[in-house]
Amino acid sequence: MKIVIVGNSTAAVNAVEAIRERDKISSITVVSDESYRAYSHPLLPNLVIGEVSRSEERFYYRKANFYESHKVKTVLGRKVVKLYPEEKVVELDNGDKLEYDKLLLACGGTPIKPPIEGLELEGVHTLTNIKAADKLRKDLKNIKQCVVVGAGLIGSKIAEKLAKKGVKVTLVELTKRVLFPVLDDTGADYIHKELKRLGVTLVLNDAVSALSGDKRVKQVILKSGKKIETDGVIVAVGVAPNAGLAKDAGLTVDRGVVVNDFMQTSNDNVFAAGDVAQAYDMVSGVKRPIPILPLAARQGRIAALNMLGMDVKYKGGFAMNSISIGKVSFISMGIVDSDELEVLSIKRGDEYRKFLIDPDNRLKGMILVNNVEKAGMFNWMIQNRFDVSWIKDTFLNSDFGWKYFNKAFRVLRLDRKIK
Amino acid sequence: MKIVKIKEDNCIFCHLCEVACVVEHSQSKDIIKAFKREERPIARCTVEFNYPISLSVMCRHCDDAPCMEACQNGSMHRDERGYVVVNEETCVGCWMCIMACPYGVIKRDTRREVWGLSTKCDACPERDIPACVDACPNEALIYEEL
Repeated sequence: MKIVIVGNSTAAVNAVEAIRERDKISSITVVSDESYRAYSHPLLPNLVIGEVSRSEERFYYRKANFYESHKVKTVLGRKVVKLYPEEKVVELDNGDKLEYDKLLLACGGTPIKPPIEGLELEGVHTLTNIKAADKLRKDLKNIKQCVVVGAGLIGSKIAEKLAKKGVKVTLVELTKRVLFPVLDDTGADYIHKELKRLGVTLVLNDAVSALSGDKRVKQVILKSGKKIETDGVIVAVGVAPNAGLAKDAGLTVDRGVVVNDFMQTSNDNVFAAGDVAQAYDMVSGVKRPIPILPLAARQGRIAALNMLGMDVKYKGGFAMNSISIGKVSFISMGIVDSDELEVLSIKRGDEYRKFLIDPDNRLKGMILVNNVEKAGMFNWMIQNRFDVSWIKDTFLNSDFGWKYFNKAFRVLRLDRKIK
Repeated sequence: MKIVKIKEDNCIFCHLCEVACVVEHSQSKDIIKAFKREERPIARCTVEFNYPISLSVMCRHCDDAPCMEACQNGSMHRDERGYVVVNEETCVGCWMCIMACPYGVIKRDTRREVWGLSTKCDACPERDIPACVDACPNEALIYEEL
């Protein structure tokens, strides 16, 4: 069988691993417009300020011999420009054509361009791949003050990193708090304080309307009319799935490439996984893109198994994030703010715990600030729609752990008798 | 594959498993030095107590380890023996493994200068029987096939 994978990051690599665990014979070709081996996207802010370099092993997602040891043919630095699902062929930007029996779209996302005038000016950056990170890193010598647009994961992280480097950072966010979808007001407050402590100026409930300057950006103009002098801008308002290829080929595309429970697109031989895919969110109950690394890994793996005809179902995922800003670490997952769900929460100094439970006593989401080590146990409960009626009383205890579970259940779980 | 099995009925809350784990993962593997002179490692097992229950919990070395799946740079990996271990050289302490671990048995070591370090049971690669099992006076931890 001929397998072609478009993309060379988390979903693609996990797909390769899953294929090779079972199938040593099929040919695998990985095509990517980036010319490097798979790397760790979350480390891009660290790369910008030089905490990690491209010569370090920790920057990469897998070892240098990964492609060789998994017998993968790589076509790097080439973009797939067209997909012909009827002929089962993809066309590259140099005119080459690759035939496939099964195709995996794992081509990720692109930074969203907000409707702002002046994005073409020098000194305006994004930060979602090595190329963008390198460009920003080289430009850092020109940046004494910087405006970061969007306080999502990348925005907050790069704001923190630049501030630590002594850059005067202003972080502009449209909503009333940083990391809006993954924290509530109380949780975000910890991050607000930490960012301020590091010297970041926060501008909330406001947006950038225009950037001005002659050749290089000099000023940022906000919707509120406020003007900020700057010599660098980082636009980080999110990523959108790279669904163009699938859309042009007539596959079903909504925000991302829509997939069924087997990570299969509307064409039987084409699968999608990772940031490009729009798969089932088991917490919200709808299909939506959730661009996070652990789900890309799982989806890549499941797509691969189904490409081999194994009939493995994707149970669905949900948003989850683990982020540290300054001295504050938090992990949150699922629904983090709701008026309809039962909410258990407690704030004890540095620690904040919050749990959201539905009327059927199923955990739907949670936030842990600073005391995060048991986070995965709640992840398990959400995934398995675990009945928490008899244990939720202990969720707010800082020492939450196995000791609070029913004995029979605990023994079975710890003996790996229940998955 | 053998893992450390937890027999909570036998546990007497003595914490010797934690002590043995600290010593085993210390530089000198000497109890006095490990506790008094060197930088003390974090115990990979944790004794939990909620009267009358007590038990020591550590990594279950899952077949489909979610921590490996969540790791951003392959630091969490399966070694030649089949156990899930952390590559200390490359771990960046993003705690995504902690977010994923269904057993809540990965700990944070935040003492390194730049990068945090996820710390978990490695099933004692230099020993035939893990140190915690060896140290347990009451067979509350036993090393057995799953």
